[in-house]
Amino acid sequence: MAMIETQDVKKSYPSGEGLMEILHGVSLSIPAGHCAFIVGPSGSGKSTLLHLIGAMDQPTSGRVIIDGADLTTMSEAQKDIFRRDKIGIIFQAFNLVGNLTAIENVLVPFLPRGITPELRDRATEMLKKVGLGHRLTHRPNKMSGGEQQRVAIARALVKHPQVVLADEPTGQLDSHTGEEIFRILRNLQHESGTTLVVVTHDRRFIQPGDLVLEIEDGLLKH
Amino acid sequence: MWRFAWRNILNRPTRTFLALVGLSIPILGVVGLFSLSKGLRMLVGNTLSQVQGVIVLRNNSPSPAFSDIPADLPDQVRGVPGVKIVSPELWGIAPPIENTNLIARTLSSLGDQQKRMQSLLDTPLIAGQEPVTHGKITTSVYRKALLKPDENGGRYLDERDIGKNHVVISKKYANQFKNPDGTPKKPGDKLKIGKETFDVIGVYHTNSMILDGVLVMNLDTARRVLNRPNGLSDVYVEMTDPSKSAEVSAAIEAKFPDFDARSMSEFQTAFGDLMGQLDRILALTVSLALAVGVVGIVNTMLMSTLERMSEFGVLRTNGWSSAHVMRLVTLESAYLGVLAGILGCFLAMVGTTIANRFLTGGIQLVVTPWLILLGLGLSFVTGTLGGLYPAWKASHMAPMEAIRLGHR
Ligand SMILES: Nc1ncnc2c1ncn2[C@@H]1O[C@H](COP(=O)(O)OP(=O)(O)O)[C@@H](O)[C@H]1O
Ligand SMILES: [Mg+2]
Repeated sequence: MAMIETQDVKKSYPSGEGLMEILHGVSLSIPAGHCAFIVGPSGSGKSTLLHLIGAMDQPTSGRVIIDGADLTTMSEAQKDIFRRDKIGIIFQAFNLVGNLTAIENVLVPFLPRGITPELRDRATEMLKKVGLGHRLTHRPNKMSGGEQQRVAIARALVKHPQVVLADEPTGQLDSHTGEEIFRILRNLQHESGTTLVVVTHDRRFIQPGDLVLEIEDGLLKH
Repeated sequence: MWRFAWRNILNRPTRTFLALVGLSIPILGVVGLFSLSKGLRMLVGNTLSQVQGVIVLRNNSPSPAFSDIPADLPDQVRGVPGVKIVSPELWGIAPPIENTNLIARTLSSLGDQQKRMQSLLDTPLIAGQEPVTHGKITTSVYRKALLKPDENGGRYLDERDIGKNHVVISKKYANQFKNPDGTPKKPGDKLKIGKETFDVIGVYHTNSMILDGVLVMNLDTARRVLNRPNGLSDVYVEMTDPSKSAEVSAAIEAKFPDFDARSMSEFQTAFGDLMGQLDRILALTVSLALAVGVVGIVNTMLMSTLERMSEFGVLRTNGWSSAHVMRLVTLESAYLGVLAGILGCFLAMVGTTIANRFLTGGIQLVVTPWLILLGLGLSFVTGTLGGLYPAWKASHMAPMEAIRLGHR
């Protein structure tokens, strides 16, 4: 069964007087547990599509169905909970909270509900898995870009999400660190069986068996 | 979340500090000004409320010292049904005591803050009483306040003092105008009032700064000292039936339209009204200051949330609801409010303690626990309210929009 499905998704942004359509009707299907790459030139609408899948934005028309649930019919509150429980997200700019330590950043999704010792253990475990067992109480500004991105990965995966979305996760890293990040991402995906969707314009990291979705000018190329 | 919010406000110490000062000063104002008002209220004390009778004096006189009544009024009031005792009194500002007049005293104490405050606040008054009628009244403030015999209180005025230079003074003046050998005045000692020499026959202590500024003497003597032959300020009246006091007062006022029959509680009500007005002015001033404090908080929080928009976006994409973000920001500004309240109250306590060391004339700034609670409550509420708009702005932004905004 498809974990992620979009049906004729269109997205327009207000631009000047009128609207500018960025996505012109994208339909795709990504099976559970797979690794999918969304590739395409800069400005083609990759990030836009990813945000729609992650319930961070609303399509102008069409439907986005994740794990059988239609995001387009959800209320804001339902989408908050959906994001909280089902989606892990990794950005290009590591997007950690500067005022929190590594472990607290990993625990961010749980902060409003309160941190239990179990959650803390889980976060520690996760940071160890990404090789940061010795960096638990460091602030982001004391860490390298690769380390920050690893914290972001730990944060995305600590809640055992159905779907992990990564938007150019290696865009700000040198190629060696980038490879490291992908190795970790793939390991964790393999281990947890989550569905991974990566936006990139760098095809080096694509492996045989990955699903590749090419997007150009707001349309999927087949 | 609590600690997170806490850290967020500590993250920008300068800005936090400025916002704190901005709000703590109005809080200091609230506590400081209301402590003054409380202090003034305490000054008047409870002594008056025990007095049963009424005082008949000229309309619109704020106090007997500013009233004068015709010499035949006491007899006429005596004729009103229900009246039991009528005791005429004369009040006036005393001439220089022991050759020190007000100006000289002020000048001589120029270097001394305490004495200067004192001399400005307690102008000595003379009360002339008719010993015979006064002796019959049930609650004579000064007779009641006479020191015990073992404290050398002496005795109160009676018929023996008619026509004599005998005076009952307060413990305060006994200490202020000492004998040549440095001991406080006691019964039997001499006191110079104006050009005349008086025998001190009694010493009282009411513990109210206003009431303790009175020299009590026989009516005729007072008339001579104050140079007001046949002068009268008011008559003190007690009723046959104290519960009918209001009716008899009304009858007196009806019969003598130019005069007021005022009960002690009315004096206090009048004072209370005055204080109420003072409080309203204080409240107005303070709310203006608070408004400025709120603007400061709004500004601080708005700046800090705009700066952290992308951070809120990150929180949102990681499963925080807009309500959670709102809670975080509101919590931060509530912290600011509480901190400002603590700071303001602390400053107020330090300030009033220092001020009280210079205010020994009887008036004291009184910071009650209630006032502290009010200060803390106000600053908490203003802090929280001031954070609502920035919080709303921070939370009602789509996650990606917030992130994008923050990256620009
Ligand atoms: N919020 C927005 N408002 C207006 N235009 C936007 C907005 N977000 C993206 N765009 C535009 O949509 C186009 C596609 O953006 P994006 O999805 O980020 O492309 P990609 O990730 O493939 O580089 C770009 O031209 C961008 O300027
Ligand atoms: Mg992009």
